[in-house]
Amino acid sequence: MARREPSLFVRLFALMSLVLVFGAAVLMTAAWYSARQAADEAYDRLLLGAAYQIADAIQVQEGEPEIALPVSAFELLALSDRDRIFYRVLDPAGRTMTGYESLADPAAAEASPDKALVENATFDGEVVRVARVSRRFDDPQMRGDAVVIVAQTVEARQALARDLTFRSFILVGVMGAIAIGGTIFAVRRALAPISRLEAAIRQRDPLDLTLVSVSTPRELAPFVAEINGFIERLRARVELMQQFIADAAHQLRTPLAALEGQVDLLANDQVTPEGRKHLDRIRVRTGQLSRLANQLLSHAMVAHRERAVAGSPVDLAELTRRALDDAIPDTLERDILVTLHAPPAPLIVSGDPVNLAEAIKNIVDNALRHGAPSRITVRLSRRQDMAVVEVEDDGPGIAPAQWARVVQRFGAPSADGKGSGLGLSITAEVAAAHGGGLSFVAKGAVGFVVVLSLAIQGREFA
Amino acid sequence: MRILLVEDTRDVGEAIIGRLSRIGHAVDWEVDGAAGMEVLSRTSYDLVILDVMLPGLDGFSLLAQLRARGSTTPVLILTARSRVEDRVDALDIGADDYLVKPFDFRELEARVRALIRRNGGEATNLLRCGDISIDRLTRMVRVGDCEVHLKRRELTLLEILSSRPGRVFGKDELLDRMFGHDEAPGPNAVELYIGRLRRKIEGARAQIVTVRGFGYQMVIDGPA
Repeated sequence: MARREPSLFVRLFALMSLVLVFGAAVLMTAAWYSARQAADEAYDRLLLGAAYQIADAIQVQEGEPEIALPVSAFELLALSDRDRIFYRVLDPAGRTMTGYESLADPAAAEASPDKALVENATFDGEVVRVARVSRRFDDPQMRGDAVVIVAQTVEARQALARDLTFRSFILVGVMGAIAIGGTIFAVRRALAPISRLEAAIRQRDPLDLTLVSVSTPRELAPFVAEINGFIERLRARVELMQQFIADAAHQLRTPLAALEGQVDLLANDQVTPEGRKHLDRIRVRTGQLSRLANQLLSHAMVAHRERAVAGSPVDLAELTRRALDDAIPDTLERDILVTLHAPPAPLIVSGDPVNLAEAIKNIVDNALRHGAPSRITVRLSRRQDMAVVEVEDDGPGIAPAQWARVVQRFGAPSADGKGSGLGLSITAEVAAAHGGGLSFVAKGAVGFVVVLSLAIQGREFA
Repeated sequence: MRILLVEDTRDVGEAIIGRLSRIGHAVDWEVDGAAGMEVLSRTSYDLVILDVMLPGLDGFSLLAQLRARGSTTPVLILTARSRVEDRVDALDIGADDYLVKPFDFRELEARVRALIRRNGGEATNLLRCGDISIDRLTRMVRVGDCEVHLKRRELTLLEILSSRPGRVFGKDELLDRMFGHDEAPGPNAVELYIGRLRRKIEGARAQIVTVRGFGYQMVIDGPA
């Protein structure tokens, strides 16, 4: 038994989704980085601007550096109202002119004292962004680089970065949703030919042996070709079987008819009493042989038609009437009262008329052969969605112990050689193929009923 | 009566001719379907016995051509075919009766007699007598709402009596019309068949009454 594989739709959808989720993760990470960078760049420019303004405000008065902190520099920085600002201004000699003494010069250790830079640092236990600029004085009273350090906490820039990232996430999310919707649509569209093929195969009548003619994409063509190859082989088999049964029927029946004919001719000639005895035996045996051949052929035909012939509407009363005509020979010496009770409305079942007639014939034939001294009553009725054919005779019937065996092939050949043991098994087989069954009812010492039930819609589910 | 047999199996043909000539029929024999058709277009017969598998033209086609020409000659089909592939019933394409090979030759004789007698030419197919109705074409007899299966000879007897309810039919007349000249029915044959028939139409609103010394008549019961 093959393991049950997940559906193609699930596979494709899962794989596409995985790619999409991975892509979205990469995009979101990139968006976060660039948002942070953009926020930093924007705020760094302000920070540097403020630092330069402060540096510009340094003046040399009588050989001494002086500073009047420009308000505009702080206004610039105050744009982010929640952040705190720290600053420190150093004169060219390295003395702190104003601001926080503890605010370290990030470029203190470096060789180039005129360097301008912005970097991250911590101050007073907080993460800050620090800008450092220098201003060179070439005054005869004062030479060297004055340094301005401005630090700002990062709350605003983080808020901006978050805001930018969030917007990007929304975009990625919308794109992702569109991509997943598109994937579902595309996968469904791409798999549509499989569904069409499936529907075409599922809706076929199991007895339909025509080729599958659904247009399919190239990838499915080998499967259709294989199915059609299989159908062709099956059809060839069915035809071969049919031909075989037809040939066998003709080849067996013609010489048997000739044999019966020759025995008949001989019986009307002058024959010695001894010869007459042998002739009678030949006649009986020929009869048995004919009957057996008929039943074997009937069995083969019934089995074949069961798998090869679709059901059609059958009027059960008309069919039973003909079956009675066929089953009761005119030359029967016993005088048997045969009656048929049918409901006034036609009783239509869906089935194979030939097989159904064969089934009913076999019941009647069985009643004639093994029971029925004087009466056979056939009743047709409808019980819910079943059609019921009851054949009652006034004979001893079949012993209950034999009931299970007579419906099996060659289950109960009669001891006197009159029955082949096939008759009722054929009937049971036809009943089963028509969604019904065969059962028996004993009515005391005389009276035995064979009940054949058939689903009204029997053959359609076959 | 003149019968045409179209059958390509030699010993089957011989046996049929043997059986039928013994009861006084003149039988012509063809072994080829096309030749059979040819003969039928020139000569008229009282009955055609037709095999299905024939060289030249198969029995079903021959029958179809015969019916297409408007011929009503009764046709008895003999078939050795299995119905494994057949979708049509011989009766549906205009055969009057059929036998599946191998058959009992006494059965063949009974069918031939019935077919020849049926062609006696009754105008209507449906005969009513009280609540008995007889369909001559399908040999269906209905008593009330129940169908009764009758043997061919019983049916003939019922048809004769029901055709003129009230008329008394003498025993000799019934014998004449039920049996051919070649048959030797026993002296009690009519009584036997009357007895059987009475039992089979028991409960009908018509019954067979014995008119002592004269014969039998069908009497329809008046409304109760």
